[in-house]
Amino acid sequence: MNEDLIIGIDLGTTNSLVGVVDSGFPLILADEDGERLTPSVVTYLKDGSAVTGREAVRLRKLEPERTISSVKRFIGRPFDQISTDQIAASDYKIQPASIGIEIPLSETQTTSPIEVSAEILRRLKTVAETALGHKVSRAVVTVPAYFSNSQREATKSAAESAGLTVERVLNEPTAAALAYGLDKLDEQQTVAVYDLGGGTFDLSILQMKEGLFEVVSTAGDTQLGGDDLDLVIAKEIQRRLKLDELTTSESSRIRVAACEAKESLSSSDTHLIRLPFFRGNESFETEISQSEIEAIMLPVIERTRSICRRAFAEAQNKGVDSIDHLILVGGSTRIPLVRRSLEEWFEIIPNLSQHPDEAVALGAAIQAGILCGRVREVLLVDVTPLSLGIETFGGLMNVIIPRNSTIPAKAGEMFTNAVANQEIIAIRVLQGEREMARDNWLLGEIEIPFQPGPKGNVRVGVQFEIDHNGILEVLSRNTATDEDHILKIESSAVDVDDSSVERMVSESIDHAFDDMNERIWTEARMKSEELLPAVESALELVGSKLPEDELAEIHEAAALVKGILTSDLKDVPALKQANDTLDEATQTLAALLVEAAFK
Amino acid sequence: MTNLFAILGLPETLLLNLAEIEEAWRTATKKGHPDQESGTTNSVSADLNRARSVLSSPAERLAHWLELKVSDHEPNHSLSPNLMDLFATINTALQKADSVISRNQNSTTALAKALLTKESVDAQLGIQQKMAHIHQFKESIVDIFPQIEEAASSGNFESANRNLSQLKFLTKWEQQCQARLLSLLEC
Repeated sequence: MNEDLIIGIDLGTTNSLVGVVDSGFPLILADEDGERLTPSVVTYLKDGSAVTGREAVRLRKLEPERTISSVKRFIGRPFDQISTDQIAASDYKIQPASIGIEIPLSETQTTSPIEVSAEILRRLKTVAETALGHKVSRAVVTVPAYFSNSQREATKSAAESAGLTVERVLNEPTAAALAYGLDKLDEQQTVAVYDLGGGTFDLSILQMKEGLFEVVSTAGDTQLGGDDLDLVIAKEIQRRLKLDELTTSESSRIRVAACEAKESLSSSDTHLIRLPFFRGNESFETEISQSEIEAIMLPVIERTRSICRRAFAEAQNKGVDSIDHLILVGGSTRIPLVRRSLEEWFEIIPNLSQHPDEAVALGAAIQAGILCGRVREVLLVDVTPLSLGIETFGGLMNVIIPRNSTIPAKAGEMFTNAVANQEIIAIRVLQGEREMARDNWLLGEIEIPFQPGPKGNVRVGVQFEIDHNGILEVLSRNTATDEDHILKIESSAVDVDDSSVERMVSESIDHAFDDMNERIWTEARMKSEELLPAVESALELVGSKLPEDELAEIHEAAALVKGILTSDLKDVPALKQANDTLDEATQTLAALLVEAAFK
Repeated sequence: MTNLFAILGLPETLLLNLAEIEEAWRTATKKGHPDQESGTTNSVSADLNRARSVLSSPAERLAHWLELKVSDHEPNHSLSPNLMDLFATINTALQKADSVISRNQNSTTALAKALLTKESVDAQLGIQQKMAHIHQFKESIVDIFPQIEEAASSGNFESANRNLSQLKFLTKWEQQCQARLLSLLEC
């Protein structure tokens, strides 16, 4: 019986948990110190060994560059999709690897997001084994609903290298809905789960009826969470300290102080940020109020609004007109501003019945219980978050399985040879919602083999199947022989032979620094070139409604941007800062424009 | 050809309502889902999902029904004159939306995006209006499904063919409008 047991794991950006179902009830397992949350932090010691969890958090001060946190933001993503801001915000270094990215620890030592995640999962496995008193080898692991195929595969392989067979990759908001609905099986409800965690945001809409939990629609952003709030607060602290350049350990300390301020201001009106002996003997102190911090956080929280509207619109297309409850989960939903904003936007009082940190893990445990027969009468049906397609003529994306299709889902396409005796046809498989193929995720290429034959006479059916984990499998069927073959999806980074990969990687590392500088300058310049004319038109439209001092501030900030832009120095930090100042100075102006548009 | 009506245990008719299809899918899914002890394979479950998705859409339901009735039917690509008129107005609305969306996507600052809000709101209203028209047209075709089935029972598939073509165009436009609307919501 014990070998059959499946554990449920919530692998979070900030914290991770593990749970099981016991006598029909889900519960979270505690470690030897009685703690249920394991910080998703790993420190690599100089001897190569790894320390995970609370101890790694303690080591962060000593080893900021060898302590890896929030690695979930990087898992399963290629280097060129990671923004320069994100790279800059990270305490540890990241660089391109032959597949995805790697994290250099020293001259000779590197690790990767998959390996770091595997360390965390190994720790959770030990926690479960100690608490249960026997070995475990099977798990349900949760991921953000909006994770792509590659991010799911990477998470799965992390679990496998931690010695766990992944019985299901489960979407986090769906897991939370299970935790919410387990004791309401005889009720019929439509719920929306708003899941704002440390690094990711999802909104899923589900219908619950007679034990069937069916996801209707989902939308999200895998790069939006508490970390982004810490970052904008840290920027404000840095501005108040009047410090331009920060060392890694200084910016790490500011970020910790920002996070503390955010958490403290969730329950009190003011907070004193203290940074004793911050630089040499200098100490800093600054007081921040709840309303000040809310003004800083609002633009980040606002980003969840359009995502919610999208999920609601998609649900409406499927005939779901209203929701009964808006359930909040994820640590960042403790912030009063989040709750108030939701009330204001959607005119609904959020449902706070679920524990923000534990609901997802409890749901993972329930799904694990369903799969090993410990929970009956409950069934979960989910959807795929992103459209799946292939590239067609003219670089367009041709959708084969639309987003929000119920999974498992399958769809077939027929391919014929374009010339006589063509041996193979190569297809690029994509995921995403944009019309142009290049704007979507490239999952990889598949090669379909053809039998020899005259042009247009050889036909091969290709079946795309998305399984319960949201992971794609591609089969080709030879119509003459009715034989099926599983086609391997070659990730685009390994499409070249190994030696050239080596070269590509070393070249890109050599050039990485120059590249980065150039990339950041270009990004900053484009932002300036967009802002300056926008400021002029906006001032023309609604400038008269602005008070004198704000007008002066805007003009001054704009002049500064112009100055730096036209000088030959290419002063990147100065331009970025000037842009930010102008951006901030025009906030009221932007709000006035939006207000005027809805009148 | 898999009979998707049969997969869900439904009669092979155009005259199905969404509630019936949902109920049939729920029953079959609860019985046959691989996560259950009595469950079957992923592939069976995927077939059930596909059957629901096809039968729930009037255009796809009509197409599948026609395929089952007439193995080698000639697709008809004609468009009725009032649909031609509708198409012209839809195109204008789509272009307006595209212009706002592309300018929004190329903006990186809050101010530049705010400048576009007014146009975005107008474009949304335009698209919503077109979607209401499309919906009306679709409903009017669904309303004559009984006559289409009646004619087919005496071997006449002309009306089925013609209306399938209209429905396909309407569905395609509907999807285009929906996609624009979602992009505009993100503006």
